[in-house]
Amino acid sequence: MAIKGVLVDITKCVGCGSCTVACKMWNNQNYVNPETKETENAHGFEAELDSNTWTTVQYVKAQKDGKEVLRYVKRQCMHCQDPSCSSVCFAHAFHQTEEGAVQYDPELCVGCRYCMIACPFDIPKYEWEKAFPSVMKCQFCSSKLAQGEAPACASVCPTNALVFGDRDALLAKAHEIIAAEPDKYVQHVYGENEVGGTNWLYISDVPFGDLGFPTNLPQTSVPSNVHKFTRFTPAIFIGGAALWSGVYLYSSRRHKVAEHEGKHEEEKHEE
Amino acid sequence: MQKHDELENKKGMSRRRFLSVMAGAGIVGAAATMSGCSPVSDPSGTGWLPNQYRNASDLPAQVKGRVPLDPDNISLIRNDEKCILCGQCLEACEKVQSIFGYYELPVHDEFICVHCGQCSLWCPTGAIKERSEIEKVQAAINNPDVTVVVHTAPATRVGFGEEFGQEAGAWAEGQQVDALRKLGFDYVLDTNWSADLTIMEEGSELVHRITSGGVLPQFTSCCPGWVKFVEYYYPDLIPNLSSAKSPTMMHGPTIKTYMAQKLMDQGVIDNPTQIYNVAIMPCVAKKFEIAREEFTDAAAYWQEQGKDWATLESMRDMDAVLSVRELADMVRGAGIKYEDLDPNAQYDPIEGIGSTAGLIFGNTGGVMEAAVRSAYYLITGQQPPEALYTLTPVRGLEGIKKATLNIPGVGDVTVAVASGLANARKLCEQVRAGKADFQFMEIMSCPGGCIAGGGQPRTTVPPQDWVRQARIDTIYNKDKVGVINAASDEQGKTMKLALSHMNPEITAIYDEFLGAPLSDLAHHLCHTEYYSRADALDPKN
Ligand code: SF4
Ligand code: SF4
Ligand code: SF4
Ligand code: SF4
Repeated sequence: MAIKGVLVDITKCVGCGSCTVACKMWNNQNYVNPETKETENAHGFEAELDSNTWTTVQYVKAQKDGKEVLRYVKRQCMHCQDPSCSSVCFAHAFHQTEEGAVQYDPELCVGCRYCMIACPFDIPKYEWEKAFPSVMKCQFCSSKLAQGEAPACASVCPTNALVFGDRDALLAKAHEIIAAEPDKYVQHVYGENEVGGTNWLYISDVPFGDLGFPTNLPQTSVPSNVHKFTRFTPAIFIGGAALWSGVYLYSSRRHKVAEHEGKHEEEKHEE
Repeated sequence: MQKHDELENKKGMSRRRFLSVMAGAGIVGAAATMSGCSPVSDPSGTGWLPNQYRNASDLPAQVKGRVPLDPDNISLIRNDEKCILCGQCLEACEKVQSIFGYYELPVHDEFICVHCGQCSLWCPTGAIKERSEIEKVQAAINNPDVTVVVHTAPATRVGFGEEFGQEAGAWAEGQQVDALRKLGFDYVLDTNWSADLTIMEEGSELVHRITSGGVLPQFTSCCPGWVKFVEYYYPDLIPNLSSAKSPTMMHGPTIKTYMAQKLMDQGVIDNPTQIYNVAIMPCVAKKFEIAREEFTDAAAYWQEQGKDWATLESMRDMDAVLSVRELADMVRGAGIKYEDLDPNAQYDPIEGIGSTAGLIFGNTGGVMEAAVRSAYYLITGQQPPEALYTLTPVRGLEGIKKATLNIPGVGDVTVAVASGLANARKLCEQVRAGKADFQFMEIMSCPGGCIAGGGQPRTTVPPQDWVRQARIDTIYNKDKVGVINAASDEQGKTMKLALSHMNPEITAIYDEFLGAPLSDLAHHLCHTEYYSRADALDPKN
């Protein structure tokens, strides 16, 4: 199975927010900000990812040719080819599917938030509101991908600002597009090499830094560096068998509560 | 480290607690790394999406997504929780109105929208609806120091009843007037009156353009969606737009000048700032129109009279617009029963009598027909012949209509009528190419005219022609009564006139206040200017 990806063409996005709605529909999420408890759209100047919102379309005012322009920036997990989140996660809550989705299993998460620190794009979000929180993030709709469908967000985009396909083909296409219109596009495919490459790729007419993308990232894989940092932790705590049983208790209780809560939520939905 | 700080600030977690969590994580890390477990389930979504989005990825849906709507759109709001991504709003915006898809991407620095509200009529779940102004209107009503004046657009009286289960197009003029009184509005006026005033000004302008070699064809300018459309897409044709304001925007400043003077004389108010002007409209673009910066002519008038009652910022010509749907919400909210409303309730005087020429403004072709009746009179000094009372070729739901009339002293005048902006676009292209074979062009943004405006009841979703036709028929039937009464030269309170220039309250405002059509004062209060919005987009055909 070829590695899949999505090519986001910032210049084509009209800010309709369909992708954010599709994400919430497919993932059974509501519009309540878990922290503020306010009902919020997932698109707008203030839109931010949270444990209940795996993708946003952020409105950004930027400068282009001396004029103020409005741009819409879809955000979600970049699905790194060599994901830092995964490499720091000792609970192995992350794994890569054969389509290249960096999938995350809340059942395995112990809530340590290592991944949140490790992610260069500030993607994983914590369920601060829950008694036994997990970390949450975009799953690349792997259940849809497995059936040959596009991810929910990309399937609804009216302007084809989001194009789903094989990453290799998308990368070639991205270069074709920016080369064809050098006056329009920034000559850079964001995600081609950032932190060793991501499966979500972006092209834009406004410099990526002005749109809120981190621009100081290494153009090679990060996890090798991260390992330097994390490899010390086992050394310090090795032999903590007693602790391990504590962790086990914690996790299983967490799951029971989560199951209970899940049921509760379903009942609410049906009402 | 910067990220750590950010996290802490955002979540309000203390550094110490954060570090201890990290340490704890380290402990777990050691254990879990050794256990080497791997995921067992697919935690990805299992929700519902419309069928068109469950295709194989190489067979994408034809209709997808939804219309981009600025969260700060002055006319409309969308509740994302209700949106099912059916794509109907986009269909309406693109296919009916030729807005979405008719500009190059990337966008410049705003959402492109003419506020017609067709998307809200097509939205099956009611996710898109008008931005409510009920609260501020209610506050004005509750304020004993404020005199709340309301006027009701022609098309509202064939929509209001539908909100209460009446058949499509049910005549509900009296009920609506009575409901407004019961809600506490102080003066209930008729926009048919200001439609008559519009005819006098716009008709005179047409005659002037035709006889003095002015820019032709003249475009009607009473539909704010259409005006914004021209400003966006055809700024080169702005000189064709009639400078006459829409009826509502003539009503606003005349209420706060001419009528205000009378209310001051009667001791009802001390000065015009105590008036709160509300319009009941079949339209949500009117919410955009009244907020256009330039509409502060009443304040300017009083300043010129040496009165320092208001600054241009503190007194606007119009204060609020309620769609028919909002009015119905207010009526229901107040516990008023439709059955208890008086079907014969009458409008208040001064600016409250309307002709049926004003009434037919609500139908596509109606402005044209009303204008032609009075233009005939303005040119010839004689009442129009029988045939001009039923201008069949410009009536009905066809997208583009044309008719040629012979007016003595002028010769043949050809008129064109379109509703729905995709149709308007075709006529604009003809005009731009210099191929227009007509002298007067009436455009309404909404298919069928204001009777099917974006603020009307969502009686069928999406809007259906049989509903539109029922509303149109009711209006023309009332006009017929007007025509018969006009023929027998009887003048009465409402609906007994079919000619704008015969409306006694129109003759009164000219005699007492404005002087004549196109006078300096009329220009001041009843005419306006437009500006190019070419910077907002790169048009694409
Ligand atoms: S973007 Fe962040 S969360 Fe997503 S795969 Fe990369 S490191 Fe992990
Ligand atoms: S669906 Fe497409 S056009 Fe709409 S906000 Fe998302 S990326 Fe942009
Ligand atoms: S109000 Fe009219 S122009 Fe604006 S989004 Fe809706 S259909 Fe399009
Ligand atoms: S018509 Fe309504 S439900 Fe359908 S996509 Fe548009 S906003 Fe959503």
